[in-house]
Amino acid sequence: MTRAEFISRLRRGLAGLPVTTIADIVADHEAHFADAEAAGRSEAEVAAALGDPDRLARELRAEAGLRQWEEKKSPSNAAGAIVALLGLGALDVMFLLPLLMGVLGALFGVLVAVVALFIGGGFVFAVGPLASPPGGPITAFLIGLGLMAAATFLGALLTAATVGLFNLVVWYGRLHFRLLKPAIDQV
Amino acid sequence: MPETIEIQLKKGVLALCVLALLSRADSYAYEIASRLTKDIDMGEGTIYPLMRRMQSDGLVETYLVESQSGPPRKYYRLTNAGRRSFEQQKAEWAAFSNAVNDIVGAAA
Repeated sequence: MTRAEFISRLRRGLAGLPVTTIADIVADHEAHFADAEAAGRSEAEVAAALGDPDRLARELRAEAGLRQWEEKKSPSNAAGAIVALLGLGALDVMFLLPLLMGVLGALFGVLVAVVALFIGGGFVFAVGPLASPPGGPITAFLIGLGLMAAATFLGALLTAATVGLFNLVVWYGRLHFRLLKPAIDQV
Repeated sequence: MPETIEIQLKKGVLALCVLALLSRADSYAYEIASRLTKDIDMGEGTIYPLMRRMQSDGLVETYLVESQSGPPRKYYRLTNAGRRSFEQQKAEWAAFSNAVNDIVGAAA
């Protein structure tokens, strides 16, 4: 592979990252070729020593995706990190998907229950006092308030659990592509 | 599979080796890569993702040095956090490798 070929494949593989990041990475590798040439090595030799540019690009992209998730825990960054890890083949989809689906389904179920609890609490809070309940209007009022507070609390717990889950997936993916994947690839 | 163990060991100590090289003198990626390739037979390509990771972890920082030929060269130096991390990892490595040597040596 020639230097131009290596660089263009690397550049293609990095598409989607910020322009400055791509320019930075490309400049690093251009400098590597230049230094190697000064040391009397051929382009083909250096390209072979650097390894597969597609894989290199995938690794750099995955790292960028994980970094964004760690900096800001937003749903789009979570999706980005997962997609990057999938691209790397670091997440074994066949193994992980059913598991992940199950957990996500359970989380969604809890979310629905929390929302229902909040609405129910709101209903008791608003309508209860007018319907002459057993414990008097104040009791209905307080029960409604209590139910809504409980729903808010559970909602916060649910958010924490979801963030924790994605952290776990990211951690697993990282472990996989840092340690296991390179080892498997080279055997 | 001895190859697998060897590769995992190298991956694990690569960051430590880079920190050690930079603790002696500032350097640029090609120089670091050549040194690591020569001494511990690492793939040259692994250096760039590693340097980016270390930079965003705040262990190293870069500066440009004008060169007589070609564009300015990007040098890496350790930050204070990098220096602390090196001292800590060095101590861990010494303790770990001593323990392993004792066991492996005793078995021989």
